[in-house]
Amino acid sequence: MTEAMHIVLVFEDDPGIQEILRMLFDANGFRVVMADTAARGEQDARLHRPDVVIVDLGLPDRDGLNVIGAIRAWSPVPIVVLSARTAESQRLAAFEAGADDYVIKPFSAPELLARVRAVMRRHVRGALPMGILELGDASIDLGRRVARRRDGRELRLTPLEHRILETLARQPDGIVTHAALMTEVWGPARDNTRALRVYIASLRRKLEADPGRPRHIVTELGVGYRLVVDAASQLEN
Amino acid sequence: MPEVSTRRRWPDYVRASAVTVLCTAIAWPLPADFGLVNIVMIYLLGTTLGALRLGRGASVALAIGNMMAFDYFFVPPVFSFDVADIRYLFTLGAMLIVALVIANLMVSIRRHREVADARERRTAVLYAMSRELTVATDAKTMAAAAVRHICAVFHGTAVVLMADAQGSLTPISFGEDSADPQSGVQGFDLNLAQEVVARGERAIGSAIYLPLRGSRRVKGVIVVCPQPPNCTLPTEQLNLLDTFAAQLSLSLQRARLAETAEAARLSAERALLRNTLLASISHDLRTPLTAIAGAGSLIAQPEYALNSDRRATLGRLIEHKARDMTRLLTNVLDLVQIEFGGRALRSDWHTVDDLVALALRGSESRLAQRRIVLELPSDLPLISVEPTLIVQILSNLLENAAKYTPAGTTITICAAAREDSMMISVADDGPGFPPGDPERLFDKFQRGRSESNIVGVGLGLAICRAAAHLHGGDIRALNNPGGGARFEISLPVSARSGVEAAVEAC
Repeated sequence: MTEAMHIVLVFEDDPGIQEILRMLFDANGFRVVMADTAARGEQDARLHRPDVVIVDLGLPDRDGLNVIGAIRAWSPVPIVVLSARTAESQRLAAFEAGADDYVIKPFSAPELLARVRAVMRRHVRGALPMGILELGDASIDLGRRVARRRDGRELRLTPLEHRILETLARQPDGIVTHAALMTEVWGPARDNTRALRVYIASLRRKLEADPGRPRHIVTELGVGYRLVVDAASQLEN
Repeated sequence: MPEVSTRRRWPDYVRASAVTVLCTAIAWPLPADFGLVNIVMIYLLGTTLGALRLGRGASVALAIGNMMAFDYFFVPPVFSFDVADIRYLFTLGAMLIVALVIANLMVSIRRHREVADARERRTAVLYAMSRELTVATDAKTMAAAAVRHICAVFHGTAVVLMADAQGSLTPISFGEDSADPQSGVQGFDLNLAQEVVARGERAIGSAIYLPLRGSRRVKGVIVVCPQPPNCTLPTEQLNLLDTFAAQLSLSLQRARLAETAEAARLSAERALLRNTLLASISHDLRTPLTAIAGAGSLIAQPEYALNSDRRATLGRLIEHKARDMTRLLTNVLDLVQIEFGGRALRSDWHTVDDLVALALRGSESRLAQRRIVLELPSDLPLISVEPTLIVQILSNLLENAAKYTPAGTTITICAAAREDSMMISVADDGPGFPPGDPERLFDKFQRGRSESNIVGVGLGLAICRAAAHLHGGDIRALNNPGGGARFEISLPVSARSGVEAAVEAC
C-alpha cells in the first residue's frame, strides 16, 4: 500500500479479543492503538488522531455510549461499536450517540473488517452527490427525480418514495434511524412507522431484483434502514 | 325478625290504649238492650285482634285495660269501678282470664311464625351467600360477597381482616355503603380483633368480632357493626353470624388450597424446565466446545506442521461451532426470559416481508443448499409484533428445515391474511416428520429425553411456541399434503392493520 497507514483505535478490555483485533488489523495494513479503558482511549484519540474508532460498550471504567458521545463532541471520526449487547434499544442508543455502525459479538473477522472499511470509505467520500444512484439494474436520478431500469423502462416512484430514497442515499451504506428518516420525510413530531414500512416495501418492490430478499434497502431491526449502494460488497450477517 | 322488640315498646302500649278506646267508642253508642254479654264480646274481640300485632306486655295490658274499661263504662254503677252486683265480678274475672289466654296464644303463635320466617330468611341468605362464595375464586371477592350479605342482613357495616403469617391483621374488604374505606371500620378495635385471632373465639365489644378459622390457626377476623351501634343481638342472630363466618372461612380455605396447588404445579413445571434446560445446555454446549477445543489445540501445535488448508478447515470448524453455540445461547436466553420472566411484548408495526427477509438474511449460509420460494402477496397487512421474536421463530424454523432436509430441498415461506389472523407458514418437501404426532416436537421437555446429535432442536421449537403464545397466537406442525414438513404460525387479528389505513395516516 502506498498510502499512509490507517490508524485504528480500539477500546476493548478483553485480552483475547484485543489479540484477535490486533492480528486482524495488523494483517490488513492498519496501525492498531489498543486502549483497555475509556479514559486511556480518549487520551489516545487526541494523541493519535485515528482514522477509525472501535468501541466496546462494556468498558471497565465508563459505558461505551459515553465514550462515543465524548469523541463525537470534537471529532467526526467514524466509530464502529463492537458489543455483546444485542437488544435493539442498545443498538438504537449507540446510533443516537453518534456511532456509524454496530457489530455484535461474537463477530466474524472479515465482517468486522468490511464494516470498518465501509464506514471509512463513507467518511472519506461523504454523501453521494445529488447525481445518479445505481441500485442493481435500476438507476435513479435523485436531482431530477427520474428513475429507470437498465433496459430503459421507466420506474414510477412517488414523491414520498423519492424523498425516502434521497434521505437514505445521503448516508450510503450507513444506517438511517427510523426517527431521522421520518423527520426528514414527514417533518418532526410525526410517528409514521406504519406508513414508513409500507413505503419501504413499495420501494423494494420497485427497485429490488428480489423484493423478498432485499439487497439494497436493508432493514436494521429496531434501528432503521441501510441503503447498500454496492450490493456486491454486501456483508453477510 | 325480632328487631322490633326494643324500638317499639312504648308505641305498643299507646296502641294498646288506642284499642281500648276504640272498643269503648264502638260499644258506647249501642242501645241498652244490646246486652252486656255482647259488649264483653266486643272487648274480647279487641283484645284478640290487638294481640295479633302487639307484644306480650302490651297484650296483657290491653286485656287488663279492656276489662277495666268494661267495668268503668258498662257495669253498673256506670262511670265507677264499683261493682253493684257481685255476679259481675265473675264476668270480669272470666273476661280477664279469657283475654289473657287469648293474648298469650296469639303472641306465641306470632313468635313461632316469626321464628319460622326468620329461619327461612336465614336459609335464603346463607344460600345466596354460599352460592356467591362458590363462584368466587379469590379471597378478595369472597370477602366482598360476605360483607355485602352481612350488611344486607344486619343493616350495619362489616369488614374482613386477614391475618398474615405473624398474625397481624390487615383489612381486605369493606361494607358497600362505606365509600370511604375508613368509615367502614369505624369503632372497631384492632386490639380486640387481634385478641380474637389469638384466642379463636367470638368477642363482642362495640362491634362483633368473629374468628375466621383455618385448618391450623385463625386466618382472619370479620368485624360486624350492626345498626344501631351497641345494640345487643339475640343469640339466634349471633348464631347466624357464626354461620356466615364459618361459610366464609371454608371458602377462604378452599381458595388458599387452590392457590397452593397452582403454585406447586407451576413450581414443579419450572423445576422440570430448569432441569431440562440445564441438561440440554450442558449437552448442547459440550459438543461444540469439544470441537472448538480440539481444533484449537491442533492449530496450536507447531510440531504437527499442519498445512494452511487444514488450518483453514479447523478455523472454519471453530467459527461454525461457535456460531452454533451463539444460536443456542440466544434461544436459551429467550426461553428463560419468556418462561421465567413474565416478559412483556415490545410490539411495533412490521411487514411480513421484512421479517421474513431478516430471518433469511440471518440463516443465509445454512440455507445455501436449499431453494427458497416466497409466496408473500403484496397486499398483506402490517402486523404489530415484537420483530426479534418473530424473526427468531422464522429463523428457528428455517434452521430446522436446513438440518432435517437433504440439499436441494425446496423451502416455501408463504403468508396469508385470514379473517381473524395472519398465517405464516414454512414448509419443505423433505422427508417430513418422524411417525407420531408432530405436535410433541414443541414439548420443551422433548430434548431432555432423547439424546439427539442435532443441536438444540427441542429448545428451538419450544421457543417458537412460547413466542407465538406471547403474541396471543400459536404455531402448529403439520405434515405437508404433498410430503415434507410444514409449520404454521398464526398471529391474532389484533396484530393486523390495513395497508390503506397506514397510508391514509400520512
